[in-house]
Amino acid sequence: MNDFDLDDGLDLEMDRRLAALARGGRDPALPDALADLAWRVQLEAPAASWAGFRRAMGGGFGGFRRAGLAFARLAVTIALAGSFLLLVGNVRSGGSAADFVQAESTPNPSGAAQAPGAPEVVIVPTSGVVDDVMADYVSGAISRAVSDGAAAVIVQLDTLGGSEAAMQRIVEALNARIPTIVWVGPAGAKAASAGTFITLAANLAYMAPQTNIGAASPVAANGADIAATYGQTEADKVMNDAIAYMTGIAKDRHPQAIAWAVTTVQSAQSYSAQQALAVRGINGIASSVADVLSQANGQTVTTSAGQVVIHTKGATTVTINQDVVQSLLQTLDDPNIAFILLVIGVLLIAIEFFHPTLFMGLVGALCLALSFYGSGSLPLNVLGVVLVVLGIGMIVLEPNIPSHGLLTIGGVAVFVVGAVAFYGSPGPYLPTSAVAWPIIAVMAGAAAAYGLLLVGTLMRMRRQPAPVGAGLVGVERIVGQVGQVQADLSPVGTVYVGRESWSARMKDGRSVARGTRVRVVGQDGLTLIVEETG
Amino acid sequence: MSDPLGPSTESGMFAKEAYLTTEPVRAAAQPAVVRDQAFDAAFIAALEGELAMAYRFAGYLLADSAEAQDAVQEASVRAWRGWKDLRERDRFHAWFSQILVNVCRTRLRQRSRRRALDVDDVDLESADPFRAALARDAVGRALSSLSQELRMVVVLRYWGELSLAEIADRLRIPVGTVKSRHHAALQALRRRIQPLEGGSR
Repeated sequence: MNDFDLDDGLDLEMDRRLAALARGGRDPALPDALADLAWRVQLEAPAASWAGFRRAMGGGFGGFRRAGLAFARLAVTIALAGSFLLLVGNVRSGGSAADFVQAESTPNPSGAAQAPGAPEVVIVPTSGVVDDVMADYVSGAISRAVSDGAAAVIVQLDTLGGSEAAMQRIVEALNARIPTIVWVGPAGAKAASAGTFITLAANLAYMAPQTNIGAASPVAANGADIAATYGQTEADKVMNDAIAYMTGIAKDRHPQAIAWAVTTVQSAQSYSAQQALAVRGINGIASSVADVLSQANGQTVTTSAGQVVIHTKGATTVTINQDVVQSLLQTLDDPNIAFILLVIGVLLIAIEFFHPTLFMGLVGALCLALSFYGSGSLPLNVLGVVLVVLGIGMIVLEPNIPSHGLLTIGGVAVFVVGAVAFYGSPGPYLPTSAVAWPIIAVMAGAAAAYGLLLVGTLMRMRRQPAPVGAGLVGVERIVGQVGQVQADLSPVGTVYVGRESWSARMKDGRSVARGTRVRVVGQDGLTLIVEETG
Repeated sequence: MSDPLGPSTESGMFAKEAYLTTEPVRAAAQPAVVRDQAFDAAFIAALEGELAMAYRFAGYLLADSAEAQDAVQEASVRAWRGWKDLRERDRFHAWFSQILVNVCRTRLRQRSRRRALDVDDVDLESADPFRAALARDAVGRALSSLSQELRMVVVLRYWGELSLAEIADRLRIPVGTVKSRHHAALQALRRRIQPLEGGSR
């Protein structure tokens, strides 16, 4: 070694040992794969151009292959995510789904031969959160009923509420050229929040016995109301808007019950079917669709086409159901499913961050998109979402920022707080919702168990003796091991022991032939001292 | 981060002019068949002189023959891409070493990131010739415990047999830094192997 740049403080013994080690052994031979590299590089490097791109993907250069794969995967990701977002955006904006219903409709959707003169009534059964899917479905079905020349359309309703925009679209659709009827049913059903507006917006409103209407005002699941979350001014503004909207609807359809209708908003009152009927807020109590048909027959209502007398006597009914996509999308509105999707999405993206495969990230992004789609009609609490994401982030970071489990504990706590506060109720139309406790408990438990396992493993690793080299057999462990002579010991040769080749000589200096089994009894520098096994 | 060493490669990743328009040195003198393949003889001669040393350096630095092969290939590809723009061809040795050091540095960095979570995947089986060669002395085995910076200095110094000034050139860092890293590396190695060898020797 060139000594001119050595100085005093240097550990000369280490220096000497390293130099000896570097110069001592025979270097591994240049592999054949590299021998003609200079030629191959010139042949294959141009393969990175577009013309030879395919060749590079299958060729010998890891760099190109990786670049190619990453590029292809990126393209697929962008294409998939893009088309998905397009689909969601389209459905969300209500662009195509209504046409979708239309396009599927046949001139006579029932398929049954229509008896001449017999009126046809279209039934639209709905349930769940009032969202854009429901709005598309209801408005599509109503316009189909209009074009089919139906005598009336009955919307069967059972909802806890939903988004204001979707509700307004349904309210507008209920003002059709044919009579519209909302029936809150079957028994046990609710027309809460946005559902109240929809019920009262139809030409005729009927409720089944043991059903409820009202509470169209913010009462949050966590006890906080809109004033606490958004301040009194905002609360007043939202409330006044809702009251004005309700007044407008009631004035058109139920002029005798305007004051009553306003109380469902203003003081969050809920009423039974009998109470609603007593103040003439609804037109009657009907236990079934047939009951609705017989009660509605002969009534005079004002449609957008003017005064119409309803003829539903002896009518045939046609039920228009949601298509598969619509019912699938509507299940996403479930508060628990939206929450679970968000957690899975964030988790997968976090995993993608540490183990890039793009697949995880793609699935995670889809989960997130679905989650936000679903929670679009739910009273999402931004603070809750932030806390949940933060908690997951803390738990995921545990292995990278050693904190002896503190991160996991904090993460689980933050996660639980966020999950509890995941939904607020910032509007009169939205349903009150919350994430189910068992789901929070199971998720927090799983995170805690994962954290414990991880911290335990890290602790164990820390207590272990330092690994000697890259998975190699330590000096202290080689003595006593049994191996086989690779090259004759005459007197020095090689012995294969502990999955490695070592220089070795016999204890007594004898020569031993290849293949002999020997035991290591000692070590002299880099040479093992062995004896023949018995 | 842009590549501080070697030719810029990012911009030319898929730019075909980097390869296709390279004028072969003796293309005109070659028979038609060979001219199709258009080899650059000067490049071949220069690179072939480097391969053995490059493989040895990468092998001991990465302690993995397969990865060393990959690294040498990658460095060769980069060298071929930058060959056209290399003005002083007599500096090929230093230039190529810088590319190789850079490639290896990237690989070490990626490896430390990749292996942060998996505990003991590949390391258990070790028929690798480089690891076996390093394993002949506890100092060699302790090499893997060094940080990437220290390890590069040690391997360049002893297996590359470079002076501190040359190391400074390859790593593009001041000589003083090389010196202090060299010191630190040897001290770290001693601390590492002392408990195994029982006190000071």
